[in-house]
Amino acid sequence: MRAEGLLTLSKEVLASAGEAEAELYLRVAERGCARFAIGELGQHMQLAEPLAVVRVARGARVAETVTSRLDRDALIDAVRATGRAATLVPEVEAFPGFTRGDEPAGPSPDRYVAATARATPEERVERLAPVLTAIRDAGLVSAGMLETTSVSEAMATTGGCARSHDGTVASFRVWALATPGAGGAAGYGGQVHGDIGALRLAEETERAIRVCRMSREPASLDAGSYDVVMEPEAVTELLEWLAAIAFAAPEVEQGTSPMAGRLGERITGDGVDLVEDPLCDDPALGFGAPFDREGTWKRRVPLVENGVARAILYDRTYAARMGAVSTGSAQLPALGSAGGLGPTSLMLGAGTAAGVDDLVAGVKRGLYVCRLHYVNGLLDPRRAVMTGLTRDGCFLVENGKIGRAVGNMRFTDSLLEGLARCDGMTRERKAVPTWWSDSGAFVSPAVRIRGWRFNGKSQEPVDL
Amino acid sequence: MTDAPLHAALAWLRKQPDVRYAEVRLVDDGGERLRVRDGRPEQVTAEASRGVGIRVLGAKTWGFACSADTGEGALLATAARALAIARASGAVARTPVAFPEQAASRGVYETPLAVDPFTIPLETKLAALDAPVRALRSGDDRLKSAEAWMDWTRQRKRLLTTEGTDVTQTFTFGACGMNVFASSADGSSQRRSYPTWQGGDGFQAGWERVTALDLPGNVDRVKDEVLALLTAPLCPAGTRTLLLESSQVALQIHESCGHPTELDRALGSEISLAGGSFMQPGMLGKLRYGSPLVTIVADATSAGGNGTFGWDDEGVPAGKRALIERGVFVDYLSSRETAAALGRPSTGTMRADGWNRTPIIRMVNVSLDAGAAGTLEDLVADTDDGLLVATDKSWSIDDIRLNFQFSCEIAWEIKHGKRTRLLRDPFYTGITPRFWGSCDAICDERDWRLWGITSCGKGDPMQVMHVGHGASAARFRDVTVGSAS
Repeated sequence: MRAEGLLTLSKEVLASAGEAEAELYLRVAERGCARFAIGELGQHMQLAEPLAVVRVARGARVAETVTSRLDRDALIDAVRATGRAATLVPEVEAFPGFTRGDEPAGPSPDRYVAATARATPEERVERLAPVLTAIRDAGLVSAGMLETTSVSEAMATTGGCARSHDGTVASFRVWALATPGAGGAAGYGGQVHGDIGALRLAEETERAIRVCRMSREPASLDAGSYDVVMEPEAVTELLEWLAAIAFAAPEVEQGTSPMAGRLGERITGDGVDLVEDPLCDDPALGFGAPFDREGTWKRRVPLVENGVARAILYDRTYAARMGAVSTGSAQLPALGSAGGLGPTSLMLGAGTAAGVDDLVAGVKRGLYVCRLHYVNGLLDPRRAVMTGLTRDGCFLVENGKIGRAVGNMRFTDSLLEGLARCDGMTRERKAVPTWWSDSGAFVSPAVRIRGWRFNGKSQEPVDL
Repeated sequence: MTDAPLHAALAWLRKQPDVRYAEVRLVDDGGERLRVRDGRPEQVTAEASRGVGIRVLGAKTWGFACSADTGEGALLATAARALAIARASGAVARTPVAFPEQAASRGVYETPLAVDPFTIPLETKLAALDAPVRALRSGDDRLKSAEAWMDWTRQRKRLLTTEGTDVTQTFTFGACGMNVFASSADGSSQRRSYPTWQGGDGFQAGWERVTALDLPGNVDRVKDEVLALLTAPLCPAGTRTLLLESSQVALQIHESCGHPTELDRALGSEISLAGGSFMQPGMLGKLRYGSPLVTIVADATSAGGNGTFGWDDEGVPAGKRALIERGVFVDYLSSRETAAALGRPSTGTMRADGWNRTPIIRMVNVSLDAGAAGTLEDLVADTDDGLLVATDKSWSIDDIRLNFQFSCEIAWEIKHGKRTRLLRDPFYTGITPRFWGSCDAICDERDWRLWGITSCGKGDPMQVMHVGHGASAARFRDVTVGSAS
């Protein structure tokens, strides 16, 4: 069902259920996931993800139901059951009520591409066949995923708010590997776009093969501080954790965010701009609905400007509690996980470097890092201390040139302090595909950071 | 719903000449998620999800499709879609998937309960969370925020396969916990949690487990510790004897033994999200993974375990098998397809996290056998100079599960057999077989506890699974430690 149909359904359900203060969000995602590994297309899946989120308020007492059942009668039952549950719960402090009909809408970038929505299993196979062949012909092992997703969503409240949106996302991630599962040389390529026709599968595959070939026979490098050039895929791994700990009102109120008590203060380097930009109209960078789960229209929020903490993100309740205005940042719960609030489209500002080579040229001795793995940002959230490892390409840089491969290294450093030592970013930025790309994507240039701290190395020989 | 649509879909698949195997899996979930923060309800959510997943092995390879509509027409269409996908993918398959036959399983599994949590009134549950949260915040302005949570899930699962398997399972999963944050005047912040990390300790049991957990009875200790951490010195860097309390051993097992012994990872099927494994098939029976004290067992039958079931999602009965035996790597967590690649039988670990996901290899209850080192306090008394760390705070490990680094909420220095000063922000790091090889003491059954992780992520798209880990405290020598701050 497309978004207009979902909107009609949601209005009908609210009208029939008889609750005075209710909110209903309906979402249907249809995902075609062609997952390949060990050179074979072993997991090809057509996934349906229907979701309804009901909230009912009795005064300031609020209860919620999340269900996969989207038929009219089941939804009416869900609204009524949620109303009964609301009578049993304590009041929510500063609950502002659900969004009213006079809440303004804003711009809505066109994010629906019929070719992506209509992609068939046969089309995905046809597009992947040359990828599998190219990597096999290179003497390497392939893995990855080609995914085509269409998402229709709509929300309505008894106060008259009504929103709907259709969107599509096509994403491609590919690895070329020296061994199927034992580690060793690996290269990665990836891209996300609203239009499956805009995916450059051959180019990204070629990149994965090239990096894998470069990664053979890695040197073992001692731990220590190194100047690094990080590709966008590495930087966005760090931004994901920054998003989790820094910008949402609950973490600020709790005192654990690096932004807590520091708005207006410098928290990182002067050249650093971080913007939540969910309405970005570039189809290569912007994804997801233009409104949040509460119906608040999303907007561009400069979070960090020239290294100075400027703003945080709110939903309606936290905004009312903290004397602010919702930024449209309330996130939808999923079955099995709570909703929350935070960035969906965090973008690190671009620099002036023409390309990665320019950044590398300014490094006398350091590392060129293609991706990171298993980053964790909970070590000391106030300082945004993170740890993680390099993956899928890490190379020694000497005298401005990328040289031999280096075995994977573990870093532990503060991202904000690291960005304060950043002295170069590329003009070009990239959205990096993730498992939640249908709701947004994080965007970054390649960056150069001086003195990034590595405290260990991996992939040492294992004795039998 | 009646069984008829499930049987109709299966019957249609049986008639298709190129279907070598198919499974039709109905999953019906219901649950609730409750969270109280700083005296207000942060989340009061009821959940419901129902649908059918159909996985088909065609002439060469697999196809999977699913439907929230469980009527006969919808399931016949879903079966046809799954087969069409298998046929489409078969066009680029080089070799047919090897999938050994499995004797049909039939029966019923149900989580044993003393008190059904879904009979407890919502107000009672919220009050059980609200009281400890208010107590955690009281008495000191530095106590900035506290929260407590409780999750309950009832999952009914019916599996039918073309081999004649017909099993019905009803699970009741729970999780409960609390934490408190304290901040000092300089803005630094500390967290202390009970009973453990990542959303609380998960289990298969009823309300009796919440009663036994006794959140109120642990409030004072948790408050005292978080306030003491604000002024505690940083954990000094160095190479130390390290004692992990039971829940931290559980996390260590999860990351450095559970995941690398997943055979799909080792063979290369999980690269697109999680990575591979340093534990390769050629190392079976040869790799010295840990010291001779270390025996780690995969047990899908442990009473009350978060990873306990009757049959996996390929119809293989739950079992118990050693993965590490007296320090030597001896087996994998496997599926029918992956085990066949090694000429072994499946260890029965294929599970999907819902009706709209395909089964993949998941941990069951992967547990460290108890040792003979007495209680935790006996182990402390037996340690001349070391650190005791507790409650995971951050976790990270490389893509083949060799280099790990974990930080914990709290550490105590041990001198001459006694806990001495408290230390904050400790982390420890190592290389998996070297670390487990340095294990020289494991506490006995009195300290052994079956922990549950509710949020183990794997697969692409991501699936979140309930898994369990039994462990008692253990001691490791010559470990690199430091401070995360």
